[in-house]
Amino acid sequence: MKRRFIAVLAAASVLGLSACGSGSPSSTGGGTATGTAGRASDLTKVSVGVIPIVDCAPIYLGDKQGFFKEEGLQLDIQTATGGAAIVPGIVSGSFDFAFSNLISVMVAKDKGLDLKFVANGASTTGEVGKDIGGVVVPAGSDIQSAKDLAGKRVSVNNLSNIGDTTIKSVVEKDGGDPQSVKFVEVAFPDAPAALANKQVDAAWILEPFLSKAVAEGGKVVSWNFVEMSPELDIAGYFTKADTIKGKAELTEKFTRAMNKSLEYAQLHPQEVRDIVGTYTKIDEAARAKIVLPQYRVEFNKDAFNTLGEAAAKYGTLTKAPNADELLP
Amino acid sequence: MSSTTLTSGGAAPGAERPRRQARKMPTKQLLGVAGILGFLLTWELIPRLGIIDARYLPPASEVIAALLLDFGLTAFWVSVGETMKAWFLGLLIAVVAAVLLGFIIGSSSFLRKATNSTVEFLRPIPSVALIPLAVLLFGVKIESSLLLIVYASFWQILIQVLYGVADVDMVANNTAKTYGLGPMARIRYVVFPTALPYLMTGVRLAGAVALVLAITAELVIGSPGLGREIALAQSGGAISGMYALVLATGLIGVLINMLMRFIEKKTLAWHSSVRSEVIV
Repeated sequence: MKRRFIAVLAAASVLGLSACGSGSPSSTGGGTATGTAGRASDLTKVSVGVIPIVDCAPIYLGDKQGFFKEEGLQLDIQTATGGAAIVPGIVSGSFDFAFSNLISVMVAKDKGLDLKFVANGASTTGEVGKDIGGVVVPAGSDIQSAKDLAGKRVSVNNLSNIGDTTIKSVVEKDGGDPQSVKFVEVAFPDAPAALANKQVDAAWILEPFLSKAVAEGGKVVSWNFVEMSPELDIAGYFTKADTIKGKAELTEKFTRAMNKSLEYAQLHPQEVRDIVGTYTKIDEAARAKIVLPQYRVEFNKDAFNTLGEAAAKYGTLTKAPNADELLP
Repeated sequence: MSSTTLTSGGAAPGAERPRRQARKMPTKQLLGVAGILGFLLTWELIPRLGIIDARYLPPASEVIAALLLDFGLTAFWVSVGETMKAWFLGLLIAVVAAVLLGFIIGSSSFLRKATNSTVEFLRPIPSVALIPLAVLLFGVKIESSLLLIVYASFWQILIQVLYGVADVDMVANNTAKTYGLGPMARIRYVVFPTALPYLMTGVRLAGAVALVLAITAELVIGSPGLGREIALAQSGGAISGMYALVLATGLIGVLINMLMRFIEKKTLAWHSSVRSEVIV
């Protein structure tokens, strides 16, 4: 009896160990290990938290082009599935740098965390009719423009964030009452279904779902990013003020490599579309059609202030942020 | 076989039982298969009849095809490996910790009383509520998953072990004492055999809970594994790919349950709840 018990335990542990063994090569979401592991010893390891979306393509592309290695950095790209893990990851030191939209960082700063951007990430294309995000209504809806959203149910992926802030701002600009818009939290992938089932009257959607929704007959009534400001920066790479002070050299190297990656991505859209396929599950047909954001090095301070003031006005922030403290 | 004689044997029904079981098995399996087929058919029909838009819920056949395609991909098995690694390590840590603490606390009525309120306070805290703490401590690595898994499965096992230890027959224990068995020997020959069936139940329950938490952690936090692949498929708009991965997690759950039942049956072969004939 005793022997059999031990045999079963042994079998169970072998099963477990074999499960461990098969888990070692990391090839899925991260997908950066190839090639960079070779001369790891003389490179400084830098961990960066990103979200697996099109906006983060430059860092993958820059890694592939060797921009980070040229600076003596070995990138460890870690994908968080949502924004929830990003700011805590920076605060706890799990990430040296991370990617997030501007409002999330403004909110964290507003709550007393000393954060600062070190590089730009993604900006609006600046073109009405061809941007990376918009408010979609079903064909035949009586909502014609932003002001008609007043009193309607509009889905956003996160409440009190960049979606509802920019939408409220464009509704007000268009002459509607921003406070009467009823925002409902629906994740982007579920938003088209929520719209089709009439759970919401309009859905704020980003790529890759936006071009799909439009192809399926949806109508964009507001290109909220570009309508708020044609120069609006949407997301960037940030870190703790401690890191910038304590690891000044590392920060400079990262910023330089990141900026180079942004420039490269802006000039090579096809390579952006290709690399997106390595870390997301967006299929090739969809990748060929999506609108890419604008990748640029400099933040636009005026647009940043416009966004910050709107967030303060609509209650997402207690006061408008100081651009000089937050921007590089 | 001293342990079996010391624990209250309990007469099992005679030789009639195995025969009845043998006749019952095929029907039971047939019913199981019919249940699965019925479920798949219903799933196939719902989008086909347009009850739910097929764009948002693809029919079963399409999802199964996507799953079969996944089976051919290394990346899929790497994710399965990551999930199983988190599941196994988490469960192992929980078992070791719960067994050690369970035997220590359970063997002293003072400790039992002293820890009771704490255990009852901590136990109902949902593990997912610890996600912010996990991320703060460990980022998006496997350690975050482990924290959630261990927390959720630890209580399942601890409570069972405490009940098991409390269930020890005082007469058997006193008899062992009279025969000169020391504390360690009594734990080995009296307490452990009594607590083992409880422990195995705890481990089986914890095995399922650990899988749920492993997938949840990967889904929400983004630590490596099947859950993260589900989140990736969802955010990339690969709907049937996503449901295929969900189906895969269900299959893993079934396999884990089968494995647990097998281990339980083997380790408790001597116990009256499992053995089919009387050992005299």
